[in-house]
Amino acid sequence: MSSRRDFLGEVWRWTGAALSVLGLGVVWKSLAAKGESREVDLPSDLVQRLSGDGGQGIAVGPLFLTGTPSAPKALSLECTHLGCRVAPLPSGAFACPCHGSRFDSEGRATSGPARRPLARAVLEKRGDRWIARI
Amino acid sequence: MDREDLTPAAGSPAKPSGSFGRLSSGFLAVSLLSGAALVPHYDPAAALSSLESIASGIPLGAFLRGLHAWSSYGLLLALVVHAVEVARKRTEGQLAAGVWWRAVALLPLLVLALLGGFVLRGDAEARAAADVWRGMTSSIPGAGPPLAALLLGGPGSGLGAAALHHAGTFSILLVILTVEHARVVWPGTRPSVLAALASVGAAGLLTVPLGPPPPGHGVLLGPWPLLGLQGMLVDLPAAAGWIVPLAGVLLLGSLRGAAGPARTAALAALAALAAGWAAFTLRILVLAGH
Ligand code: FES
Repeated sequence: MSSRRDFLGEVWRWTGAALSVLGLGVVWKSLAAKGESREVDLPSDLVQRLSGDGGQGIAVGPLFLTGTPSAPKALSLECTHLGCRVAPLPSGAFACPCHGSRFDSEGRATSGPARRPLARAVLEKRGDRWIARI
Repeated sequence: MDREDLTPAAGSPAKPSGSFGRLSSGFLAVSLLSGAALVPHYDPAAALSSLESIASGIPLGAFLRGLHAWSSYGLLLALVVHAVEVARKRTEGQLAAGVWWRAVALLPLLVLALLGGFVLRGDAEARAAADVWRGMTSSIPGAGPPLAALLLGGPGSGLGAAALHHAGTFSILLVILTVEHARVVWPGTRPSVLAALASVGAAGLLTVPLGPPPPGHGVLLGPWPLLGLQGMLVDLPAAAGWIVPLAGVLLLGSLRGAAGPARTAALAALAALAAGWAAFTLRILVLAGH
């Protein structure tokens, strides 16, 4: 009788230990997970509209496109301070509405609490489409 | 409720403090009832347009929204004054330690509920406030990103999680902790009538903004009780956004059981935090061009 109780106790202990390890694993995995990169499909008609002469770029969802139709460039519009959406200014610079950070046309932080530059998306041509990865 | 929780700590004053405590219960009742009346008309998937149709499409819709907002702000104000009242009269010892700490937790819970309510507007300012909230929470080492996902859902996932916590989690916790602390369900006729009159007056006189902010705002302002936090985020590292409020809550909680120089130090630190909050409120208002 007692050995049966001992056995059940062991089962409980091992089950508890296994579940704890599993739980820790799940927590660890969620904490260690790198931010997933997102892909943004860039409509080809928009890319064709790029003038490449230093004129206005084009905002497409979370990105700002500049460059030429054959060699477009894309900056993320996510502020590197706390993640608000920055607004492109007529001067080519960017302003964050949340705490007033400013970025130059290359995305470098010039004033305000943001220290890091705006992220540059990796662009890839697939067939006749451009895909941006951020 | 645990019997032990009702036993005042030895040596504590016998007279309860709490005219503003009862008033906060009154504001909570008005806020919950007006919020419940808004819920059927609000759609987190089309937040802004559903609020616009509440304001213009249902009878007294704009007034009801104002009533909900102003009673919630009234609740925060009454709660803060109640905390000062308790600290001044040294009545925190009347509560058992667990009940005291859970009562202290009412303040951050209410702030989260208010922030959630602001985010639920779904306009440009609300989206920016959600981004700041997410970024600030994510800066908590380790637990930050999962906590941000729990409170606001994944990035770009809409307002479902915020709506659920605003109308569900936070509201339920506020009710449970208030009832546990006050030991009554109904706050009484006088505080309820007073809270209702104050909220009705404010809702009749002041409109709650919706849609694009007035031109000239250089920075996001967000809900007015959190202006100090917004100001702080301009000049201090992002982590100050959670470290400073956490320090405030811990200092307030530590008043129970603190005596002599320890209590004086805790009160002085709380006063310094309040002064800093006021200074950063001014800072953000100046930056916004007010
Ligand atoms: S999020 Fe852009 S300045 Fe703070």
